[in-house]
Formats: sequence, structure tokens, C-alpha cells
Amino acid sequence: MPKAQLFITCLGDQFYTSTLQNMTHLLERLGVELTFPPEQTCCGQPLFNNGFEDKTRPVALNFMRAFSKSDAPIIGPSGSCVSMVKHHYPSLFKAGTPEHALVVDIASRTFEFTEYLVNVLKVTDVGAVYPHKVTYHASCHYLREMGLKTEAKTLLNKVKDLELVPLNEEETCCGFGGAFTVTYPEVSRSMMENKVKDIIASGADTVVTCEPGCLMNVAGGLHKTGSKIRAMHIIDLLSSKEL
Amino acid sequence: MTDTHPYIGFEEYSEHVPPGIPLAVQQATSRFVGGRAARVAELPQWEQLRQIGSDIRQHTIENMDTYLTRLEEKVVAAGGHVHWAETAEDARRIVLQIAKENNVKNVVKSKSMATEEIELNHALEAAGIEALETDLGEYIIQLAGTGPSHIIVPAVHLKKEEIAALFSEKLDIDAPTDPIELARIAREVLREKFLNAGMGISGGNFLIAETGTLVMVTNEGNGRMCTTMPDLHVAVVGIDKVIPDWESLTVFLKLLARSATGQKLSTYTQFITGPRRAEGEFGPKEFHLVLLDNGRSKILKDPVGRDVLKCIRCGACANVCPVYKNVGGFAYGSFISGPIGAILSPQMLGTQTARELPYASTLCGACADVCPVKIPIPTILRHLRRRVAEGDAFALPTISTPIRVTAMLTSLALAQNWMYRLGARLLPIINPFFRKDNWLSGMPYPLNRWTKVRPLPSFSAHFRKWWNVRSAKEKDS
Amino acid sequence: MTNPVTENIRRSLGRTAQSPLSLRPAIYEPRISESIDAEIERFLSEVKKLSGVSQKLSSPEIDSALKTLITDQNIRKATVWETPHLRQLGIAEILNFLGVELISPNANKYEMAQCDLGITEADYLLPETGTLVLRSSDEKPRAVSLLPRVHLAIVTPAALRADMHQVFAETKDSNYLVLITGPSRTADIELTVTLGVHGPKNLYVWMMKE
Repeated sequence: MPKAQLFITCLGDQFYTSTLQNMTHLLERLGVELTFPPEQTCCGQPLFNNGFEDKTRPVALNFMRAFSKSDAPIIGPSGSCVSMVKHHYPSLFKAGTPEHALVVDIASRTFEFTEYLVNVLKVTDVGAVYPHKVTYHASCHYLREMGLKTEAKTLLNKVKDLELVPLNEEETCCGFGGAFTVTYPEVSRSMMENKVKDIIASGADTVVTCEPGCLMNVAGGLHKTGSKIRAMHIIDLLSSKEL
Repeated sequence: MTDTHPYIGFEEYSEHVPPGIPLAVQQATSRFVGGRAARVAELPQWEQLRQIGSDIRQHTIENMDTYLTRLEEKVVAAGGHVHWAETAEDARRIVLQIAKENNVKNVVKSKSMATEEIELNHALEAAGIEALETDLGEYIIQLAGTGPSHIIVPAVHLKKEEIAALFSEKLDIDAPTDPIELARIAREVLREKFLNAGMGISGGNFLIAETGTLVMVTNEGNGRMCTTMPDLHVAVVGIDKVIPDWESLTVFLKLLARSATGQKLSTYTQFITGPRRAEGEFGPKEFHLVLLDNGRSKILKDPVGRDVLKCIRCGACANVCPVYKNVGGFAYGSFISGPIGAILSPQMLGTQTARELPYASTLCGACADVCPVKIPIPTILRHLRRRVAEGDAFALPTISTPIRVTAMLTSLALAQNWMYRLGARLLPIINPFFRKDNWLSGMPYPLNRWTKVRPLPSFSAHFRKWWNVRSAKEKDS
Repeated sequence: MTNPVTENIRRSLGRTAQSPLSLRPAIYEPRISESIDAEIERFLSEVKKLSGVSQKLSSPEIDSALKTLITDQNIRKATVWETPHLRQLGIAEILNFLGVELISPNANKYEMAQCDLGITEADYLLPETGTLVLRSSDEKPRAVSLLPRVHLAIVTPAALRADMHQVFAETKDSNYLVLITGPSRTADIELTVTLGVHGPKNLYVWMMKE
């Protein structure tokens, strides 16, 4: 029975309890034995991406402490958080030090959720049912840093009665960019409004994404326009048995 | 850097974008992006070309001194003059000196970002020399007195009616609003200028060290005019434009036009090696090459930041940048905009003047995907953010105190699990004050910067408790 | 010979004047030509895509082709490269006969600017992009392909090369070289494509059949 550790992410922790619960249930249903290291907090992206590398290090060390108690793979519902661990944590520590060796090991066994399902468990059909028109927003770090170009759509295409419709500028940034939303809120606004316009124009009644950050941004934007379009994390959609 | 550049307030500029700019910029960028995609699809070896282009530029940067020395020898052997300009001031002085020695009263200029960088036109005008931009877009914005909104089509933000009004006013004519007619007017006006100018000033796209050759890539023919009609040709070119040899050039010529506008090749690619050799031939009697440093040699010291010097000025990064497409070129506060501007200006002008620019990005990475020479722009953006936030070997931090304090507190809270969990437990307390339909709005600083744009989901950290309860239940059963 | 700029560069890179030059990375393999007929067709088709006018001609057809061009483009003054091939084709004589005033290609720029038509050859041709490669010399001045509003290039299949590599190998020692790919163009005003802003508005390319 494969084992895995849940990496819930700070945004997941604060705002998306039900998504995390769905993630738990879904993985367990697929036969994964899960543990949840409670010492975890945040991957430290908000600090690292804004140039505060020295201040990121203690946060990274906390992550490493939390997840090194077990050598099981680490699964997170966010491409950007996982990318932070995989691609950027090693640069925080000097090569040759024990911390560096530890972080390289942890980086090698940290996976994004859809990546884990499709590429590790080799599962593409989780028995979900979602009879709706759905459009997909490809999150930037998920797509470009993690290189996950097909996994999400592979999973969506196996959802029963789901009709996937194209999103204009699917790969264009939604304007979240972490702290960017509070650094340059007006530019973030323009980008978000463009994304919302494209989502509405797609004709879908649901927009799905693999990134809690994008979700927060787009869902809030849709709500503000009074739109009835649902914004969902792919985990919630894949947990749907809606009939 | 001896010049002082005004502080670049990207936040302020981006909040005051003139209304027509985003749409105009988006029309231009989508045309170029579509063209580029079509050209890339035709070339199965595109990714291989990008890698070769990147490798050659890397190699050239690492051996820049040798190549520039070779270039100088060859230009001089071909009968040209080489001048080294350490600063922008040096470059202006050199050009003015050449003009003065030759009694030049009228200059025609072909599009050159290097001359914009050193603000050459102001210096020429101050010395009583007419300096006329001849690239149509540059000519228009020169008449309008504004800066460029896009690297390739600098006047794209102006409607044809505005341009007609501009021509009518400045040329004392009754200009029609048809773009073809307006271009014809410009052709006539500028033709007379080309024929009578005492000096032509150009930039350069590449400098071939192997033979001392200046390469100029244009579409209109004004570049050829400026460097063929007057007796004197002065080229102001950044030292980073040097490439080893003609063979390497084939790679860049395959990459450049396709990346910039979606053409296979620009209309005119000129190769100029020294002044003209024969009397009956056209072309300048004197050729001067001004090699511009202006901070580039300093950038070379930084092994991460210096990748910016690989740039071949195609504008592909700007064409795909969602930030740039929403704010246009003016918001970047200097002669160069878009993602490349965000990593070049802080290195040329310093991280005090340009401290806001490295943050003018969501790090989406679209630029890195299209850069023909594979400049890792997001990596350099993070690298420069580090310089602003914490300082590095090249500069002290320049970030504002409130942000630094916020980062300190955030780091503390995120590194201590107990502090983080306490925060998570406390945050839901504030929900009732701001909540409507499970969304929070109208929050106080700093979260107001989020909620003024769209609502925040309510704080609802219940997972940990749920997990503990579930685990306890499982243990019991 | 030292100067502050190269000194700055050396200091930044940790190099000295004696530092060796590392090996330049390799380029890809150059393109190989297809059959001569395929190359010709490709070349002429690319010229058309650029809004140029291209056709194949044999020398007896030049006469009427020139007559059509003169009429279509309202040519009153023309200038022609004085090269052996163009002399052999009798271009100057035909133009004279058609009542077109001939300006010497070595005339000054003001006179040259009065010309409606400039006739050149091309030293090389690149089929992939429909590009004409022109050298420059006393008998082949640059302005002939630049100043007049109509540019006619009379070219031969022998000028075709597979790729830029071959062209550059043969031309890198030139004092001046220009690659011409289509007529002059701009999209600076509201992205509307306009031809002939400063360079020629009309490009004609005649490929001789022999």
C-alpha cells in the first residue's frame, strides 16, 4: 500500500478545508495510506518570490523538519507550492551541507496532486461524475515550472458527462502572482478582469484550476461580477459524484 | 553610471495608464504573437535554434573583451573610426564632436534604442542641430513629444485621426486620416531630409567581430537611407551587440524577425564594413562606430544578471507579457519596457531608482518561453528582487521599511508552527465583521489592497481539527 | 591598445588581455538545396507572398515585359546598373526606345531621387525567404535599389543559394551588402500595413529562364 504525506499549503489550510478533505478521501479511496505532519505551515513562496531569501530559510527548515520524519512522498494541491519545494528549496542551502542533502531528498519526493495521480499512481479515471460544461485555466507555475501540460486535461477528460470547452488565453496569467495582488493591485485587477471575461465568454458554467491562489483570485472576481459560474479546484471536481 | 535618472514609480505609472493604451498595445501584441506562432510552427528546429542562439550569446558575453578588440581592429582596417564611450555622457560628447568637426546642421536618425538610452536627440538639439527620427513610428512620436508605447511599433497607441492632426499641425498641411496617405506624406517630407542631411546616425542590431561589420535590420528603408545618403555615418551601438562571426549571425537572423513580428526576415538587412570604398558608389565617406558601455561592463560582473546582455531586442517577451499588455511601455519609465526592461533598467540604473520594476511581474514565465536566446527572465527578476529586498554583493537593500518589517514578521510566524496555528485560529474571529455570502470585503490595511479588487474567501481553517478528530476516531475503532 | 571599456570588461570577467578565447558553440547544419526547378518556384512564390511581383522570362520577352511595367507604373525616369548581363540584355536601349529618360547610376543623389524605376541584378538569391542579396560597387551602386519607387531585379538561377551560410561564405569580405526581402513596409500607423514608406513601394523580380 503506497504511503504519502499530506502537504496542505497555507492557502489550503486557511480557505479550502473541504478541498483538503476531498483530497484526503480521494487519495485514500485510491489506496494511499496518508499521514499529515502537523508541524507544517507554508512553503515560504511569498517570502522567496519577493526577494526575501534569508527570511525564507527558516520557513523551509520548518517544512523539512515536518516532512523528514517520514520518507514517504509528499503530495500538495498546488503546482506553485510544490515547485517551490522541488525547484527552489535546494538553492537556499549550500551544496555539501547536511541541510542541502536533506532538502534534495525531500525535493525529489514532493509531488503535485495531479502529477501524483497520473504519473505516479498511473490513475486517470477516479470515477467522478460532473455533467457540466467546464473550462480549464492553466496556472502559470503548474504549467511552466512544473511542466504539467497534459495531466489536468487527462483527468478531466475521464470525468463522466463532463464537456470540456476551450478557454481563450488558457495559459495567460490570471493576475494572482502571490504578493503581486497587493503590490500592484490595479494591474492585478486588469489581468483578473481579462481572465474573468474570457471565462464568461467560454460558455462554461464551471472553471477549474489546480492552484488555490488562482482559484481565490478568479472565484472572487467571478463573484464580484455577479456571475453564477462556479470556480473549483480540480480536486473538488474529481470528487464530484453529482448526478 | 554618471547620469541620474528619475525614480521609476511603476505603481504610480501603472495606475495612470492612458485609456487607449491597453487596447492598442494588445492589438499590436496579438498580431505579432500570431505571426510568431505561425513562423515557429514552420521551423521544426526552432528549439534547437534557440539553444544555439543562447549558447553563442553566452559564449560571446564571456569573451566580450576579445571580440570587441577584434571588432575594433577590423573596423579600423576597413577605414572606419572606433570610439569607446564609457558613459552616456561620453557617447553624446563623441557624437557632438564629430558633428561639430564636420559642420553638421542636420541629422537623420534611424531607429536606435541605444541613442534613446543616452538621450542623444536632446543633446543634438541643444547644440542647435536638427535631429530627425526617420522610422515612421519614431518620427510620429518625436512630433508628438511622447515616448514609445511598444518596442517595435512605438506609435501604436495613436489613432490615425490623432496622427493626421499631428501632421497637419506640425507640417502646416491638411493631412487626411488614411494611413497610406499619411505614410506617403512622411515619405515625401523625410526624403528631402535624407538627401540634405550632413550626418546619418544609426544604431545596430549586431556587430560582427570577424570582419568589423555593422548589421542593421529594418523594414522601411530609412535605415538604408540614413547610412547611404549623407557623407557621414555614425553608429551608436551597445557593446553587448557584438557577435563572433557571420556563421553565428545566420542563427540570429533566423530568430530575430520571427520572434519580433512574425516575418521570416525583415525587409532590409544591411551589412556595413567601414565607409564606401569607391567614388562612384553611394555611401558615406566616413564611418564612425561609437561603442557604448553605459553600465554594461558592470553588469558583466554578475553571473546571473548578465544574461540580460544576451538580448537581441526582438520584443517577443513584451508581446506575451500580461503585465505589459495591460500597462503599455510608458509605465516602465525608461527607454526599454516589458519584461526585458524590468530586468535591464534595475541593473543599468540601480535598484534604488528602479526598485519597483523587478516586482512588476507575476513571474508567470511566458516571457522565458518565447525569448529567442533563452534569457531566464523570471530567475533574473527573483535575483533582482533579492537585491532590492535583502541586498547582495552588488547593492544594499532598498526596500521600504514597512515591507521589510512585514516580511520579518511573516517569516517569524511561518517558521514557528505554534505561531502559525495560533494565527490560523484567531483569523476566523474577524470574519463576522466583513463577511457577506461567505466572502470578506472592505478589509483594513493591508488586506484592503486585495479586497478593493475582489473579495477574500472567509477564514476557515478547520482541516487540522477535522484530521485530529478523525484520527482519534480511527484509533478508538 | 587599451581603453577604459575593455578594461572594465576584463575586470568584471576576471580576464586579462592574454586570456584565451574559448571555443564558439557549433551551429546547425546548413540547408541543402532541392532541385533547381523547386528552388526557383519556391523563390518566386515567396516574393509574391511579400507583395512583390515575380515571373520567369526569356530574353526575347523582356521587351514587352518592360513595356508593360513602364505603362503600369507610369515610369518616366529610370536608372540601371551597368553590368555585363544587363548590357547584354540591352535594357538601356529598350528603355530609351520606350521613351524613358535614363539617369546614370553614378549620378548624384538628387538626380537619382528623381527616378521612378531602378533596375539591378542580384548577386545571390535565397529561396526560403524570397530574398535578393545585392553587393555594391561602382557599377552596382546601392541607391539604385533604394531611391526609386519601383525596383526591378533581373536575376538568374545561377544566383540561387540554399541558405545564408553559403551566401555569407562568399560575401563576408564585402564592404557593403544588403538583403532585400520584399518591398519597403511599415505597420506603424494603427498596424495598417503600408508599402513604400522610404524604400521602393513596388518590387519586381524577373527570373531569366536561361
